[in-house]
Amino acid sequence: MTRRSIPKAFLALMLMLVLVLAGCNDEKEGDSAAEDELISIEDFNQVKTNEGEAIEGGTLNFGLVSDTAFEGTLNYNFYSGNPDVQIIDWFSESLLTMDENYAYTQDGAATFEVDEDNHSITFTINENLNWHDGEPVTAEDWAYAYEVVGHPDYDGVRYTQSLSSVEGMPEYHKGETDEISGIEIIDEKTIKITYHEFTPSLLAGGIWAYPLAKHIFEDIPIEDMASSDAVRTEPIGYGPFKVESIVPGESVTMVKNEDYWRGEPKLDGVTVRVINPNVVVQSLQTGDIDAVSTFPTEQYKDNQDMSNVEFLGGIDTAYTYIGFKLGKIEDGEVVPDPDAKMADVNLRRAMWYAVDNDAVGTKFYDGLRWNATTLTPPSHPDYHDATIEAPTYDPKQANEILDEAGYIDVDEDGFREDQDGNELVINFASMSGGDTAEPIAQYYMQAWKEVGLNVQLLDGRLQEFNTFYDRVEADDPEIDIYQGAWGVGADVDPSGLYGRTAAFNYPRYASEENDRLLKEGLSEEAFDQEYRQEVYSEWQQLMVDEIPVFPTVYRAILIPVNNRVQNYAYNFTTTGVYRYEIAVTQEEPFEADEITPVEEETGEEAAE
Amino acid sequence: MWKFITRRLLITLPQIILLSVLVFIMAQMMPGDALTGLVDPNLDPATIAEQRERLGLNDPWHIQYVNWVGNALQGDLGQSFRFKIDVTDLIGQRLNNTIWLSLLTLIFTYIIAIPLGITSGRYNDTLRDQMITGYTYIGFATPLFIFALVLLWIFGFQLGWFPTGSSVAPGLTRGTFEYYVSRLHHLMLPALSMALITTVNTVQYLRNEIIDTKQKDFILTARAKGASESRVYNRHVFRNSLLPIAALFGFEITGLIGGTVFIETIYSYPGMGLLFMESITQRDYSVVTAVVLLFGIASILGALLSDIILSLVDPRIRIK
Repeated sequence: MTRRSIPKAFLALMLMLVLVLAGCNDEKEGDSAAEDELISIEDFNQVKTNEGEAIEGGTLNFGLVSDTAFEGTLNYNFYSGNPDVQIIDWFSESLLTMDENYAYTQDGAATFEVDEDNHSITFTINENLNWHDGEPVTAEDWAYAYEVVGHPDYDGVRYTQSLSSVEGMPEYHKGETDEISGIEIIDEKTIKITYHEFTPSLLAGGIWAYPLAKHIFEDIPIEDMASSDAVRTEPIGYGPFKVESIVPGESVTMVKNEDYWRGEPKLDGVTVRVINPNVVVQSLQTGDIDAVSTFPTEQYKDNQDMSNVEFLGGIDTAYTYIGFKLGKIEDGEVVPDPDAKMADVNLRRAMWYAVDNDAVGTKFYDGLRWNATTLTPPSHPDYHDATIEAPTYDPKQANEILDEAGYIDVDEDGFREDQDGNELVINFASMSGGDTAEPIAQYYMQAWKEVGLNVQLLDGRLQEFNTFYDRVEADDPEIDIYQGAWGVGADVDPSGLYGRTAAFNYPRYASEENDRLLKEGLSEEAFDQEYRQEVYSEWQQLMVDEIPVFPTVYRAILIPVNNRVQNYAYNFTTTGVYRYEIAVTQEEPFEADEITPVEEETGEEAAE
Repeated sequence: MWKFITRRLLITLPQIILLSVLVFIMAQMMPGDALTGLVDPNLDPATIAEQRERLGLNDPWHIQYVNWVGNALQGDLGQSFRFKIDVTDLIGQRLNNTIWLSLLTLIFTYIIAIPLGITSGRYNDTLRDQMITGYTYIGFATPLFIFALVLLWIFGFQLGWFPTGSSVAPGLTRGTFEYYVSRLHHLMLPALSMALITTVNTVQYLRNEIIDTKQKDFILTARAKGASESRVYNRHVFRNSLLPIAALFGFEITGLIGGTVFIETIYSYPGMGLLFMESITQRDYSVVTAVVLLFGIASILGALLSDIILSLVDPRIRIK
């Protein structure tokens, strides 16, 4: 027995070596690829280039990229997760459409008239807008959505500002009244909503425009609605496609809705399938799917030459940032702490100067993330103020600022002490997730070390997503600075993130100037768009001056689309392209010339 | 015999209770909850706080545990926060998928293991044996998730023989012939990739058993009586070697649970394993506890099954 095991042990050893060597080889390839020329988001089309002649009909295969099954709460009024809404968008839609700045337009299924004096908006629903079962979409359905989502028995998460700002809604939500005083049904297709918080945010995604089919839901108790068949197995909408069958958690088959109010869709139907992020590339190459909900941008570089697709691109409504802990939250209000370790703005500014975010974007994201300047990302082109000069990489400047501010290396250990000569160690919290989380955190710490700042990773390691937010939210005194990311939503109003009473104000920053500007941005004068832009320019400047956080990178969204598809946009919200126009030029999708091997990817999503 | 089974079952009960406490405490110790993931400025933090209170996430763990056990005893495992349906319904949907996957995997496992084990044991130290043991060593060394990815790439994408994800093609009506064919087609690749790896244990067991058995005295006796070589192997050696394998059947089920977690994730096959992963990352507590408990019970029952088979086979281990 023992004698025989020797050659086998040798064989096993050989195999291990083969695996190890294969691993090394992979990394080398990665390195050389990173040196190629840069990619810029400006090189991408937002809408698919149409080639050839569209055929009648055809079925589009849409890949819902997710490493989890979809939940199946297929109604705008009840869903909580991203996978579900990706499906809902195909068979239903918001009654209101948006322009490129995420402001409402009159192009949707409902038009509106604003009455500034009475703080009300009157909406008129299109005459031809019907539910998939043929019943008209009425003002009553719309009001019903408010009655359900605002109801004390409602168990979802969609009760937000857009509902609570309606007059009488808070009382209704507490169960004090049975009617919402601010909602008035004028006739079958007209509804007037009065607001007690009447701000410009309303017109930038602040209106709940998702009616709920009353003729179907009225017999179901509110707490059972989310688990009812009308949501889970036979969902209903009024969009270009209607649901035909559902395989729970896996796929949804839809056929065209010939009665769609904008006109008959060109496609016969759409199949939505969950695709694991590991195999997105291969599924695109084989033509299994024509388009995807999201594409992992880090895989773009290796697949940019994929022969059967065109990559569409746009700027994401998000930024990554470094936050500084400046205080605490007490009784729902931010209390800045003047003695906080990071309380000196010069220290914060120096830390901004010390890091090279363009290098981070190029080295780690192939240029698909790039240096950020202000806290309003360029995804809102009219609000993002590109003229503001924010600190960019300049270690000399950083050193000067620190010298002047009195952060001197007294004991000559290579690290600066604070103004009183005490040792200064800054604890940095950063999230795990994806292959780049660790090197990026290391890079930042290295860059700060270059200017003499001793920054240490909290607990000496990256924090898992949930732990990270638990600790940041609880104002863990161990955390001095942290790296996070925000999606900014449709409206540019930042009070949800930086307001004095905002729970998401994680840096716990507050100042009177900030209060004033945030208030101005929501004032009645700010219904004038130019005025509002000025206010938010001023606010962006204030944030660059006071630096409660500094943005590090903006990011791109990439959406690959098979060459047979026409009229497809990277998003259908702001581009003015609508889903009923999508067409294909041939029955079968194009296939790529070669199919790349499947690789194991780690959970990048967690970091977002 | 019955006495043994009853006793064994009685020991199982405290095991399950202990397991449920452990599972519950560990789930509570996980940082974050079902609502932590909703860090989104479009949502109102007040609404989230309200939901937290409503779901009882702010209660101390022992209160939550008592509530949970009380409901669980009535067959109510709570509602999944994420899916908004009862955990029992959710598990019902997924369990079906996993049972078929496990069943097919088991079938493949034995189809592969028995001929290989017999050949390898009967002709030990020949080239055939070395090739088979070579395969088993590669099998031991290969991580399941890498192997599954490679198979997925070759047979799913390159050759296009098998579907690359999900449990059935979209748009088919339940109950039709095409529906079942499509399900089987979707099951083949995941089951095969798991079977090819997990079978190596059984091949090795069988091989060692056969080598052991064929040196036993009764085999010599059989040979001495003039039984043909094939009769010796098929009647005497094989049957006796198979007994321990049968006894391991219960543990095999336990092993499958671990495997399905990987396989279902890679093939986007919505079964219990995938549900387990998802509910952990999304902190869907009610589902986590229910699934872990179910896995735990399956393992305990698997071990029980093995013990019972073993005691049927081998009277020596029966408890007096």
